[in-house]
Amino acid sequence: MDLTLLTQYVLAGLVIGVIYCLMAVGITFIYSVMKMINWAMGEFYMIGGYAQYLLIASWLGPQRWALALPLAVLGVAALGMVVQRVLLRPMFVGQLERLDEYATIVTISLTVLFRNLAVVVFGPYQFSPRDYAPPFQLGPLPINGSRFVAFLGAVVLLGLFAAVVRRTWFGLALRGVAQNRLGAIAAGINLPRIDMLAFGIGVGLAGAAGALLAPVFLVYPESGALSTVKGFEIIVIGGLGSLPGSIVGGLLLGLVESLGSVLISPAFRDVYGFGLLLLILALRPTGLWGEQAREA
Amino acid sequence: MLTPLSPPGDPSAGQLIQRGAELGVQYINTVMGGVFGKGGCSLPAAPVRLAVEDDSGLPEKSVAGFRRLVTEDRAAGVFGAFHSSAMLAAAPLADEFMVPYISTQASAADITKKHFAAVFRTHPIDPDRAAAWLGWIQAQGWHRVAMLAENTDYGIGLVEATKALIAQKKLGVTLDAVIFDRTSSDLTPQLLKFKAAKPDVLLNVGVGTPAYLIIKQAHDIGLFPQTPMLGSYDFPVRAEYWKNLRPAGNYLAFISYYHPRMALTSLGKWAAVEYAKRFHDTAIYSNLNSFGDAVILAQAMNLACSRDPKRIVAALEQGRFDTWIGSGVTFPRADGVAWHQWSPPMVILQYTQPDETYDQAQILYPIGMKTGTYQAPR
Repeated sequence: MDLTLLTQYVLAGLVIGVIYCLMAVGITFIYSVMKMINWAMGEFYMIGGYAQYLLIASWLGPQRWALALPLAVLGVAALGMVVQRVLLRPMFVGQLERLDEYATIVTISLTVLFRNLAVVVFGPYQFSPRDYAPPFQLGPLPINGSRFVAFLGAVVLLGLFAAVVRRTWFGLALRGVAQNRLGAIAAGINLPRIDMLAFGIGVGLAGAAGALLAPVFLVYPESGALSTVKGFEIIVIGGLGSLPGSIVGGLLLGLVESLGSVLISPAFRDVYGFGLLLLILALRPTGLWGEQAREA
Repeated sequence: MLTPLSPPGDPSAGQLIQRGAELGVQYINTVMGGVFGKGGCSLPAAPVRLAVEDDSGLPEKSVAGFRRLVTEDRAAGVFGAFHSSAMLAAAPLADEFMVPYISTQASAADITKKHFAAVFRTHPIDPDRAAAWLGWIQAQGWHRVAMLAENTDYGIGLVEATKALIAQKKLGVTLDAVIFDRTSSDLTPQLLKFKAAKPDVLLNVGVGTPAYLIIKQAHDIGLFPQTPMLGSYDFPVRAEYWKNLRPAGNYLAFISYYHPRMALTSLGKWAAVEYAKRFHDTAIYSNLNSFGDAVILAQAMNLACSRDPKRIVAALEQGRFDTWIGSGVTFPRADGVAWHQWSPPMVILQYTQPDETYDQAQILYPIGMKTGTYQAPR
């Protein structure tokens, strides 16, 4: 195969992989802190896309897309905090026994609610804001300007997120809660508030992915469905609860999908990701960066 | 009516089909004076009612919806199908209940090729579509054809029909067909591969969102419009086409089943005028064909002089019907894919200006209706 073409495929895979990472980091972050899986992450991605489209199309105009981005992300994060406060906090405060099941039911119900709301409010049509930037040449790869912006935006957001988690007092509190929730309470950390903020930040990352990718993959009621599946694939590949694992898993998935779909067949694009997942689970059942744990 | 009104199907197609069906019911109840009561039918005239079910483009929902229409709504006939996979799933039920089921826009060959006793179609079949685009490709003098088709009955059926026609007629055309997963949102790797192969034309066989993504991503990597692209159906006639693609959608050629330059029957003229009045928009094929299917069913009920679906099936097989684009429509028990099949005419149009409306688009094919030649970007 032509080396230029192969480089193009690898670059295309890495670009999409970085964008996948945003979704996976959001899922894994919420899981690490709250010990629950948010099955509605794809719908927060979808809402991020709609928010970005609405802000650009009806208020800020196409030139101010960069201003719309943080507003869309903040909007999704705020919605996430409201959802956490109203629907999820009661189960933590009430110390429910079957917390996982409750969280699963609530978040799966949210996927149905948000998708149907999108159909009712916006109709079944596809929407797309204007491209954020003109086409760009990334080495040998001709790349859409919006996709390059999404790639850069994802890198910046992931860096910012890592900096907050690693280098701030707030990040320290988050890490403390992730390690031991009871211990965090004993140390005086306001757990309900941390949970609410963590949920908001996690879904905000999904919203950021949706807003960044709105001109690339279009916005429609089902647009988040696939990204949820990808996000879960990545966190299992990388290891549940591991942030570096989510990043490496995202890049690996992007590469495997890109190369598999041109070297084998694009008809089975999703199968390659699951193949990788099965292979990694067979070799390392806890994922690339996952840790073994004991439960009493 | 059983049609996709919610994702993951193509609900905007379903909404257009529903509008046409509502107009059909209006025509039957006002202009025709309902069904029965005329032409020697002793039953008193009766109005018709439209029952609507959403199949979401999913086979399982299509089966459930068909069952509800027949058992709960007592439907005398069902139409409105858009997704071939959804229609194929419900087709055996049509035979089980012997309730006529007309394909309004589902085009997989198997729908009629399987010779279901109660299944009919008023929409072009895969071989019609393959013949149209191969005819145009030959007229253009092109030889290397790339085809990106979704992994549905529609996409796979069109790949097979195109391959079969090339082999059967020894057309001297090489076809590089790639089937992609319909749920994929990133088709860049396949499009890069096509770009490197430098085909004469790329056939876009996506339905709904994938059709838009192929155009957008091909444009992003500089494949389209430098390489001509043909859309496999008439999605560019919808209002959202330019909103979603803006200049990236310019120069697309696409198959359409209606163009305002085509001569309509009196039924079609009534539908076009009333549609504009009622919906403040120009009627397109989805509206008109759905309208036509409703009226054909009413004509078959009149011919059968019965509400019994079995008799309506027999009437559809024996009668000649009027629709929006033609008179003397029949559904013969013909061989192969022509079983219970009637195909409307097809044209290939091209947009050459951003925001152009489809009635302004030039007709490129068939040669007898041609109003312009393929325009490449400067």
